[in-house]
Amino acid sequence: MSILQAREVSREYRMKAETVHALAGVNVSIESGEFAAIIGTSGSGKSTLLNLFGGLDRPTSGEVLFDEESLAPLTSRQMSRYRLASVGMIFQSFNLIPTMTAAENVSLALAFAGMDRAGQRERVVALLGRVGLDHRRDHLPSELSGGEQQRVAIARAIANSPRVLLADEPTGNLDSRRAAEILDLLDEMRRSEGMTIVLVTHDLELARRHATHQVMLRDGVVIGEERMAGGTP
Amino acid sequence: MNFRDIFSLSLRNLLQAKLRTVLTTIGVIVGVAAIVTMVSFGIGLQDNLLRDALGRIDLLTSINVIGPGADAMLAMREGAGDGDNAIGRRLLDDAAIDELRSIPDVRYVNPQLSFDGYVRFEGHTRRIGIGGAPLIVSDNPRFMNILAGGHFSSGDAREAVITERFLQRLRSKSIPRGSPPRQQGGEAGPFRQPPTRSDEERQRDARAVLGSDLIMLTLPGSGAGGAVFGIPLPAMTGFEEQQDGDVTPGFEEHRFKIVGVLKSPDGIDFQLGGNQLLYLPFEVARQFREGSSDPLRQMGEMLAGGSGYQGAEIRVADIGRVEAVKEEIRRRGFNFISLGNQIEEIKRVFLIVNASLAVLGGLALLVASFGISNTMIMSIRERTREIGIMKAIGGSDGEVMRIFFVEACLIGVAGGVIGVICGWGIDRIANLFANRWIAQQAGRAVRHIEFFSIPWYLSGGAILFALLISLVAAIYPASRAAKVDPIIALK
Repeated sequence: MSILQAREVSREYRMKAETVHALAGVNVSIESGEFAAIIGTSGSGKSTLLNLFGGLDRPTSGEVLFDEESLAPLTSRQMSRYRLASVGMIFQSFNLIPTMTAAENVSLALAFAGMDRAGQRERVVALLGRVGLDHRRDHLPSELSGGEQQRVAIARAIANSPRVLLADEPTGNLDSRRAAEILDLLDEMRRSEGMTIVLVTHDLELARRHATHQVMLRDGVVIGEERMAGGTP
Repeated sequence: MNFRDIFSLSLRNLLQAKLRTVLTTIGVIVGVAAIVTMVSFGIGLQDNLLRDALGRIDLLTSINVIGPGADAMLAMREGAGDGDNAIGRRLLDDAAIDELRSIPDVRYVNPQLSFDGYVRFEGHTRRIGIGGAPLIVSDNPRFMNILAGGHFSSGDAREAVITERFLQRLRSKSIPRGSPPRQQGGEAGPFRQPPTRSDEERQRDARAVLGSDLIMLTLPGSGAGGAVFGIPLPAMTGFEEQQDGDVTPGFEEHRFKIVGVLKSPDGIDFQLGGNQLLYLPFEVARQFREGSSDPLRQMGEMLAGGSGYQGAEIRVADIGRVEAVKEEIRRRGFNFISLGNQIEEIKRVFLIVNASLAVLGGLALLVASFGISNTMIMSIRERTREIGIMKAIGGSDGEVMRIFFVEACLIGVAGGVIGVICGWGIDRIANLFANRWIAQQAGRAVRHIEFFSIPWYLSGGAILFALLISLVAAIYPASRAAKVDPIIALK
């Protein structure tokens, strides 16, 4: 069953006089429990597609479906609920709030969900434990290594138990050893918790190693798609 | 997101830019302190004026009928002033007083009889206002407010009831200003205040003078000394009788025994004709008044064909009947002043004054609101990425907006509360200096005056206004924050 689906999705940006077609009629279906990799060079439209899946953006035409339901009719408020609970996102630059400690960053996602303080505290401990950062709870992002920051970001992304984790070049700022650790963590979460992972990357090698489903994008068009054995657990 | 989380998020945002937050809040503090200080001064002024008036129902049940002077009567007799309602048409003589007494619901009518005279007491001679008091004074607040002693024993007794201010004036070391001294006891400016002393002290002072004599001086041969009025001839002043040797011989002396001391009202004396410091039995006073009236006045009265009282104080038995009694008095051709109307008038004037003061203070707060807007726009620019992150992880536009509104509220309320405290502080200091200055001017201790008043609605209103202004100032920045596009913010 497809958990995320793009149907004839186009996304255009108007830049002064000219119109940029970031995506042009993309059809992609991501099954529940997959480790999907969207592969493309810079400007291929892969991040645009991920933002559409993540509910940060809306397509110019076509529609995005989550769990067979279109996101198009959602109000801005419903869309924020979708971002909060249905999907989690991590980014190349981690996007942690620099003035908040690791625990506070994770707690913020729980606060948006309306969880009370005691619940937040308890859950933060569990989440940071899950990503192996028990001992770093009260550190600011600037006091953490890149790999650690990304782990905090992952903990925040999965705070409200989303079914899909969207990762936008999550290892772009990490050395190869840390990168491998992060991807192993994502893969492990997919296997143990049945979470669907959508990874956006330009690194073909990286995608090959973990992905069960590869989508190649170029100039806003899908130019190739491949499903590997052992995809859906 | 629950309110507690929004609150702590807003608070931490503010604390992250402490200096900026403090400076912005100072703007609000200045505005609120300005409003509080200015309006509290207006309210304080109003309170000082109306404290007694509002606190005493007897002033509202009192109607002061004004008699036309001899000159007005003379002119009217010659047909002048037709249709002119400003002056009573009726002579306020004894017959008129009896007529007023017959009006239903009138409890009593006190014809007002006053004149100036020279009085010697404890070796000091001063010109003061003297009034006539009725023998029966039950439920007349002016004569019931006794500090020591009582009232006259009979209608023709050579007895006097003095006021506290009589003692102040006679014992005062300062040189009386102006003549005739219409402002006796007014050394502290418009606020006639007895000295700062305890009630026990005041009573002790008052009791000390009970039974002692005061001497009224008249010119020899003036009517008052004549036996025609049934008053025993006064002893002629002789050198052997002089107490201090400062009285020129050749005056007639009239001795009165002090039987009562009236308490001076605190605050402002609203009673019309409240300049009398000394009261004599009515009939006695009447004789002395005739004796002391100057030749021109006597001539005027002769020309007008009679003299009436300058006025009469009417007390209405029931406050609900005041209007009816007024109507009746008007119908009978008398003119009057009633304090009830004046209080409303004063309040109306002060409403305008206070509103203008509030507007002036409000301008300062308006300026502060631009500061708030500016601060918040700056802060949003700095935190665009943070806003983008919050939205990406599930924060809604509304929640982002709320965070900024709460920030503005915090600045507004903090500025409001501190501003009220500062305003109060400024009031206290200003009050201290003002009282010190008055004491210096008066050359003696005067009762402490509160020039400022901060009622709860002023402090509450100022804080609320600061809050409101802050919220308005936050509308644009907050909606701008809500519109941040996470994709652009996170690039």
